Amino acid sequence: MSPRHKACLPLLLAAALPAGAAQAVHVTYWEKWVGFEAQADQAVIDRFNRSQDRIVVDYSSVSHTDRKTLVATAGGDPPDIAGLNEQNIATFADAEALLPLDDFIRRDGMTNTEWLSRYYPVYARICSHAGHVYAGISTPKVMALYWNKTLFREAGLDPDRPPRTLAEFDDYSRRLTKRDPATGRLTQVGFLPQDPGWWPWIFCSWFGGKLFDEQRVTFASDPRNVAAYDWIQSFTRDYGLDNVKVLSSEFGPWASPSAPFFTGRIAMVFQGVFYDNYIHQYKPGLDYGVGPWPEAVPGVTDFAMAEADVLVIPRGARHVREAWEFIKYVNSANPDARTRDELRGAELLDYLQVKNSPLRVWSPFFAEHNLHPHIAMMRRLSASPNVVSAPDLGIWQEYYREVISSFDRVRLLDATPREAMAFSQSRLEKSWERYRRSLERHGQWAALGETAP
Amino acid sequence: MTRAEGKRLRAGVAFTSLWIVGLAVFTAYPVAASLFYSFCDYSILKAPVWCGLENYRQLAQDELFWKSLRNTLFYAGLSVPLGTAVALGLAVLLNCEVGGRSLFRLLFFMPSIVPVVASAMLWLWIFNGKYGLMNGFLDLFLSPFGLHGPAWLADPSWSKPALVIMSLWGTGNAVVIYLAGLQNVPAELYEAAEIDGASAWRRFIHVTLPAIAPVVAFNAIMALIGAMQLFAQAYIMSEAANGNGNASDGNPARSTLFYTIYLFSTAFQDLRMGYASAMAYVLFLITAALTWMAAQFSRGRYEDSP
Amino acid sequence: MTRVHKGSRRVAMGLLLLFSAAFVLPFVWLLSTSLKPIEQTLSLPLTFIPWAYTADLGGKRVEVTLDFQVTQPGAVVRFLAGEDAGKLGFLGARQLASGSVPATVVHPVAAGSWHVTQRLDRALGEEGPAPLWDVLPRDRIDSRIRPRWDNYPRALAALGGDSASDRDRVGFWTFLGNSLAVAILGVLGTVISNAIVAYGFARLKWRGRDAFFALTLATMMVPFPALMVPLYGVFKALGLIGTLLPLWLPTWFGSAFNIFLMRQFFRTIPEELSEAARIDGCSEWRIFWRIVIPLSTPVLVVAALFHFIFAWNDFLGPLLYLTRKDTYTLALALAGYQSQNGGVQWHYLMAASAVTILPVIILFLFAQKTFIRGIATTGTKG
Repeated sequence: MSPRHKACLPLLLAAALPAGAAQAVHVTYWEKWVGFEAQADQAVIDRFNRSQDRIVVDYSSVSHTDRKTLVATAGGDPPDIAGLNEQNIATFADAEALLPLDDFIRRDGMTNTEWLSRYYPVYARICSHAGHVYAGISTPKVMALYWNKTLFREAGLDPDRPPRTLAEFDDYSRRLTKRDPATGRLTQVGFLPQDPGWWPWIFCSWFGGKLFDEQRVTFASDPRNVAAYDWIQSFTRDYGLDNVKVLSSEFGPWASPSAPFFTGRIAMVFQGVFYDNYIHQYKPGLDYGVGPWPEAVPGVTDFAMAEADVLVIPRGARHVREAWEFIKYVNSANPDARTRDELRGAELLDYLQVKNSPLRVWSPFFAEHNLHPHIAMMRRLSASPNVVSAPDLGIWQEYYREVISSFDRVRLLDATPREAMAFSQSRLEKSWERYRRSLERHGQWAALGETAP
Repeated sequence: MTRAEGKRLRAGVAFTSLWIVGLAVFTAYPVAASLFYSFCDYSILKAPVWCGLENYRQLAQDELFWKSLRNTLFYAGLSVPLGTAVALGLAVLLNCEVGGRSLFRLLFFMPSIVPVVASAMLWLWIFNGKYGLMNGFLDLFLSPFGLHGPAWLADPSWSKPALVIMSLWGTGNAVVIYLAGLQNVPAELYEAAEIDGASAWRRFIHVTLPAIAPVVAFNAIMALIGAMQLFAQAYIMSEAANGNGNASDGNPARSTLFYTIYLFSTAFQDLRMGYASAMAYVLFLITAALTWMAAQFSRGRYEDSP
Repeated sequence: MTRVHKGSRRVAMGLLLLFSAAFVLPFVWLLSTSLKPIEQTLSLPLTFIPWAYTADLGGKRVEVTLDFQVTQPGAVVRFLAGEDAGKLGFLGARQLASGSVPATVVHPVAAGSWHVTQRLDRALGEEGPAPLWDVLPRDRIDSRIRPRWDNYPRALAALGGDSASDRDRVGFWTFLGNSLAVAILGVLGTVISNAIVAYGFARLKWRGRDAFFALTLATMMVPFPALMVPLYGVFKALGLIGTLLPLWLPTWFGSAFNIFLMRQFFRTIPEELSEAARIDGCSEWRIFWRIVIPLSTPVLVVAALFHFIFAWNDFLGPLLYLTRKDTYTLALALAGYQSQNGGVQWHYLMAASAVTILPVIILFLFAQKTFIRGIATTGTKG
């Protein structure tokens, strides 16, 4: 829209709406979604805008929302609400790019603890950093094991019984791997760590490892992390690097009909609650099951990973109270909803996006009429004491990049896990040292240190 | 100063006043500020805090900094000589009395004005490991031996060569320049050589090359400066090669982490503006050295009488 | 021009044809992909030609996609038992003979036949009856050449992302307008400001001029990436982050390269013309405007063309300063298009790229001579 048109818009609105609405505050909201998730967002916004006459939320879909928000905040012209990834919270908060929400919560008559206790613990953890609440959840995600039942049947496995332990998982994976007898090339694999390869650090947590230990980076120093990367490398060694390359050259993008899980090239993947939507879209009729991660550490059952897209208020935003009103709306629900029309806030959004709700209390309608085929499993995993999320760490972006880089080197046999991880570890130690010193210099370390994990 | 001198000075300053402002605001201040920030812990959101040489010390120990420098030098070291050779070769061919010369020149030149974002998209598709044109072509020769073209941008050892190949496509600019340079070589030189019975190759080595060497050297160094600042195509292509939409790390496996990409992500993703400024200054010094070399080659060519 | 023997000339011609093919082929590939339906962009062997396939399915003549070739003989069958009872499916000859899957044969299929599916132009997520399919020998499938020109409007419509709200739905025309605004305002700034400044350096004698000019030349070696951080601070202080201004405003304050280019040209204009005018009492401004500028069209056009191309193609600048989608330039929108659509839709991406390339190619074809002369002069003399 040209600046001139933009100037016209309020005038047009003023002419078209009743007098009261002309004074409504317009809140700008940047979000990454396009497509049906964006439509769900818009439906929630419409419901919110209609529910009162003081605030109008204006949705803008913005690619690379995190970098754009940071750049706009640094440039002094941020949106009122930004839809970020949870991994941004610590970094952005430490950079003083975010407004803590504590005061708003207090003004609404709650303590932080009360506010956070409405979520499942893992989502409460995600919203907070250094003793402050910085975010509300927009889209929660739980990652689980997805397996192809048809391929299980072909391999003589019980399609309704997923592997329960790591040993079983490895055994299943071997039995689900097929080669062309003539050439020895792979035609199907049970599991491939790089698909989708978005969260390699989760294998460390799954193996019981810690990524950060109070004050120190423990990527390479925790032997359980190294064991996880050894395990990752074992797949390339078993399959053969060239065979993996040839096989994976046929893989289409993960969200397309030619994605390897959809074409039956891979039998088991770890994917998120959103995956069912893509199965529905690109491979309707696929016979698949969803369950918890197998037990890698004895006794740790119902292991899963959670992450979330979050809503934050950047520092320098112009309409902070109104922004908070919307965040509060999206982070509440109507616990008595019995029809679709009675859904509100979080449940309306998650119902329309076909995902789980981050809140502990689910309304009868949301729990019973959910369109997600495996919602009960997703709820069970959200509530599990063994669900983990990414560490709340200001250098997590760098950490994540190192995790990925080591992961690539290890699976491409470019280095042994120990070598690759030691390289990353030494970089991360330096980064953490630098980060800590920078916070000290700006007088923020003490505040962070008090509440450090 | 006489009155006339004063008047002339006022006129001179008046005519150049726009540039005086531009130079001060858009060049001089940033150069000075950059230097200051490079000695600071600075994130733009918080006030800069002086930290002395710390940024430079860290830079010296930063493996990624060195990796980005190595990647950049690898790219520059391959793309500049190859580009120069291809451009010079094409210019020499065009300089033979062949028909349709201006059409050829047009065809060679056209890719060099294609928007870099669009050409990045196009080459991303050409380098697609399975359905791309490049492997479709290579497999004509490779598949009889049971071989297959590499995954190019998805393969750490082929991603930089892929970018080099793409850069060759845009070398038409230099073809035009070299052709003009060749046409400026006085015909008498060739005639003299021909009378001496020199072969075409010897004529090229002994007459053509020395005559256009300064032009080639100057343009090669300019290309080198450009290659040191490689950004857009690598940024876009590495973002796509990864799939999870983060280019800041030069995927795959940091093989396309180039200097300017690291600088950009340090500054605008990690908000480490002080550190990025130190990197900027190092780049500035490298470029200054290269420019000085270029000036040596072209010395006298644009020094005209006052 | 080098005189060479006829034989060598033939070799040269051959080499030139070979190389020009290599330079042109990417363009052909771009166009051909942009005119294909999506499934033909992802099929082997590669072809440059966009096809349309038709076949008789369920008694109707419909357009189909070629999915894959069956490697063994077998039959299209109707299953009799199990979950799939009543559905159609394909069974290989061995499975059929073993009788392990109860089914009746609908029609037999020879090895090498194609699995084809009815082509439904449905938007993703749109519901409707399942597409028809069959396994047919190649000679029962008709193919003809059919470029999909409608890829273009669709690609442009998708360029802005299919945002849910009308207010947010900015698209191709907005991006085009932004690109044109940045390029045109930048061209005006470049031509006007640099001509004025270059006149001051070329045609006036004043104290400090040569030192200042040397300084000007020296600034040419400052790479843009080195200035990114403080420049961002400058535009933040001016309150311009998120607007188009940082992309064209600086051009109104001169640039070293263009000042140099124009100064060189202005100096070739005979000084006597100015002197005569001065004696007639003309002001410097009048001399500049009435005498020097009209004689300098070639260099002004070169500077304008170069800047237009630069502004149109620029990626780093917009990436740095633009935050809102309604301010995106075409280049930035194109880059975003690639990253916001999970699976790459190559046919749309190539169509959108072609549209981005088109204006510069047209401009170039119109001003070809000026361009080439400009490049040649700046490269050999500058």
